[in-house]
Amino acid sequence: MSITQHQPEAGSAKETRSNPRPGFGTGRSEFIVVAVLYALAIFLTVGTVTMKVQGKSAPGPQFFPILVCIVLYLVATLLAIQILRSPKVPDHSIHPGHGQFSADMLHDLGHLGKEEDAAFSDGPSRTPARTWKTYTDWRTVGLMLAGVVAFVLVLNPLGWIMSAAMLFWVVAHALGSRRPYFDAGVGLLFSSITQLAFGAGLGLSLPSGFIGGIL
Amino acid sequence: MEQLELLMGGFANALTPINLLWVLIGAVLGTAVGVLPGLGSAMAVALLLPVTFSLEPTAAFIMFAGIYFGGLFGDSTSGILLNTPGNSSAMASTFEGHRMAKSGQAAKALATCAIGAFIGGLIATTLVVFFAPTLVKMATVFGPAEYFALAVFAFLAISAVVSESVIRGIAALGIGLALALVGIDGPSGTSRFTLGMPQLFDGISVIVITVGLLALGEVFHIASRIHRDPAATQIEAKGRARLNLADFRKALPAWLRGTAFGAPFGLIPAGGAEVPTFLAYGTEKQLAKRRNDPEFGTTGSIRGLAAPEAAANATAGTAMGALLALGLPTSATAAIMLAAFQQYGMQPGPLLFERSGDLVWALLASLFIGLVILVMINMPFASVWAKLLSIPKHYLYAGITVFSMLGVYAVSSAILDLWLLIAIGLIGFMMRRYNIPLAPVLIAVILGPMAETELRRALAVSEGDLGILVGSPITVTLYAVLAAALVLSAIQHLRHRRANRQAVLVP
Repeated sequence: MSITQHQPEAGSAKETRSNPRPGFGTGRSEFIVVAVLYALAIFLTVGTVTMKVQGKSAPGPQFFPILVCIVLYLVATLLAIQILRSPKVPDHSIHPGHGQFSADMLHDLGHLGKEEDAAFSDGPSRTPARTWKTYTDWRTVGLMLAGVVAFVLVLNPLGWIMSAAMLFWVVAHALGSRRPYFDAGVGLLFSSITQLAFGAGLGLSLPSGFIGGIL
Repeated sequence: MEQLELLMGGFANALTPINLLWVLIGAVLGTAVGVLPGLGSAMAVALLLPVTFSLEPTAAFIMFAGIYFGGLFGDSTSGILLNTPGNSSAMASTFEGHRMAKSGQAAKALATCAIGAFIGGLIATTLVVFFAPTLVKMATVFGPAEYFALAVFAFLAISAVVSESVIRGIAALGIGLALALVGIDGPSGTSRFTLGMPQLFDGISVIVITVGLLALGEVFHIASRIHRDPAATQIEAKGRARLNLADFRKALPAWLRGTAFGAPFGLIPAGGAEVPTFLAYGTEKQLAKRRNDPEFGTTGSIRGLAAPEAAANATAGTAMGALLALGLPTSATAAIMLAAFQQYGMQPGPLLFERSGDLVWALLASLFIGLVILVMINMPFASVWAKLLSIPKHYLYAGITVFSMLGVYAVSSAILDLWLLIAIGLIGFMMRRYNIPLAPVLIAVILGPMAETELRRALAVSEGDLGILVGSPITVTLYAVLAAALVLSAIQHLRHRRANRQAVLVP
C-alpha cells in the first residue's frame, strides 16, 4: 500500500489544469462506486425475493440479506449525495491515513505537525511533468487485465508453465520492462520453479496442459 | 502455573528439527515479503496462506507464526530506507526512521526496529500465554447476543470510528457482508445467491477475496500510476546493524512505553496497529519536546523510532491472543489468520483450547521461536534484506500476479475461482482509487457469517424479541463503549472540518 503517495488535484475525469471550466463529470467519477453498490444491492434484492427457502426457522435465511440490502441502498444513496455536493476526490492532499484511516485522528494521536507532513513531500518531487486526460493510466491497467484474462483462458489448454510465463511477461512488459527476450527467460524460469516447488514439492495440482499430454 | 507446563509441552512439539525448519522458512519468506515496498504483513499472510495448505495443521501454523511476525519485522525497512512504509502500521516509525537514515544512521535505525519488534512481540506473547486462559473463561459466559454485540462492535469500530469517511467505511463493510452471504445457508440449508452453480455452494473462498483485494488489487493500482508517479530514491544502509550500549539505554524506555501502548490495542478491533503506533509516536514527541531533545525532528531520534515499532509488534502479539481465545480478529491480518484456521476446520474461540490444545500451545511456542529466529536473521543481515529493495518493480509485481494466481488455483483447482479473483481484484482497485478502506471488507467477510448465525440464534431463543440483544450487562457495556467511540470520532470529524473551513476563509 503506497500510503505516502498523494493524488494531484482533481479526479479522474479531467485534470482541472487542462480544463479551466470543469464539466459536470469533473471529480465525480466516483459514481462508478455508487453504481457498483447499487448493482450489488439489486442483485441481493432479486436473489432474496426469488430465494427457495428451505425449513421454517424463525428468522429465516432471508432475514440477514434484507439487512445487508438496506445498508447497501442507504450507503450508496448517501455516497451519491456526497459526491453531488462536493465533487472533489476527498484525498487530494498529503496525509498519513490515505483513506484507510482517519488522517485527522492519526494527526491528533501522534501530535503531528508540519514537520511530519513535510516528511511525506520531501521524497521525490510529486509534481507530474505533464498532465493526462485521466488520473488512471488505463493503457497499463488494460494491458494487465488482458494479461490475467488471457491467462485464465489458456491455463488448462497450455498448462501452468507456459501460461504463467506468458502472464509474467505481459505484466512485466506492461509495467515498463524493455527487455522482451530476457523477460521471457525470467518468466519461464519463474513458472518452472513454482511448478517444481509447489507441484512436485508440495503436491499442489497444477495443470500440465498439452505438453504434459505429450510426455 | 498450569500455563507454563502447557507452554513447555508446546515447545516440545515445536522444537523438532522439521518444525524449526518451517518456522525458519516462514520467517525468511515473511521478512522478504514485508521488506518489499508496498507489500505489508497482511499481504505476506494472504499470499503465503494457500501454500501452507498442503502441510499438516501443526506444521502449517508453525510456519504461519514465522510469516506473521516476519512481515512485521520487514515492514519498516522500506519505510526507513525509501520513505514508503510497507504497511500502514509502519507509518509512524517512518517519520524518525527515515530522518535517521538520511543523517547516515540507517543501520542503527534498522537495528532499533529489529530489537523493538522483538521486545514488543516477546512481552505481548508472554502476556497472551498468561492471560489466554482468563480470556477463554470470560468467553465461555458469552451467549449469542454477546457474540453478536462483539461482531457489531468490530464492524463499526473498523468501518466508522477509525476510518477517513464513515460512508465509505460502511460501504466497504456492505461489500464484505454481501460477499459473505453467497453459499448454502448453514441453519436452513437454503442456497443463497449461488445462481445455481454448485461451485458456489461453499461460498466464495476467503482466499480468493483476500488475495484479490490485497494482492491483485494492489497490482492493478500500481499499474494505474507506475508510469506517472516518480520513483522513490533509496538510501544505502552501510555497515552492520548494531546498537552500542548508550543507544540501547536510550531506546529501552521507549521500547517499553511502545509495548505498553500496543499490547491493549491487540484486544480492541480497531483495525490493527495504526492507532497505538501513532499514540506511541505522539508520546515520544511530547517527551522529546519537554526534554529539549535536539535530534527529534531533525537528524532522527532513536526513541521516536523505537516506541512505534515496539507498539506495532505488541499489538500483533496480543491480537493473536484475542484471535485464539475469543475468535475475534482485531485487524485485517488477524482476519486472514482466522480464515486459515477455518480452512483446517477449526474455529478459534474458547473451544479451540479444549479441542486442539496441543496445536494452540505449539503455535504460541513457535511465536517465541519465530521471534528469536527473526531477530537472529534481521540484526546481522539487515543490509542484506535491504538489497531486496533493488529488485526491479516490474519483475516484483509480475511475480506477485503469477503467485496470486497460483495460490488461488491451488486451493480448489477451479477456473471459476480465477474469474472471481479477477473480479474482486478490480473491486480492490476501485476501492484503492477512491480511498475506500479495505480492512472492513475482510472483517465483514470473516465475521459476517458469525454475526448472522448468532443474531438468528438469539432471535430464535427470544422468539423475535429484539430486547435480548441488549439484555445482559456485557452487551450493554459493549454498545455503550461503541456509542461513546462513535460520538467522539464524530466530534473530532466536525472539529477538523470547521478548522479546515476557517483555514480556507483566512488564507
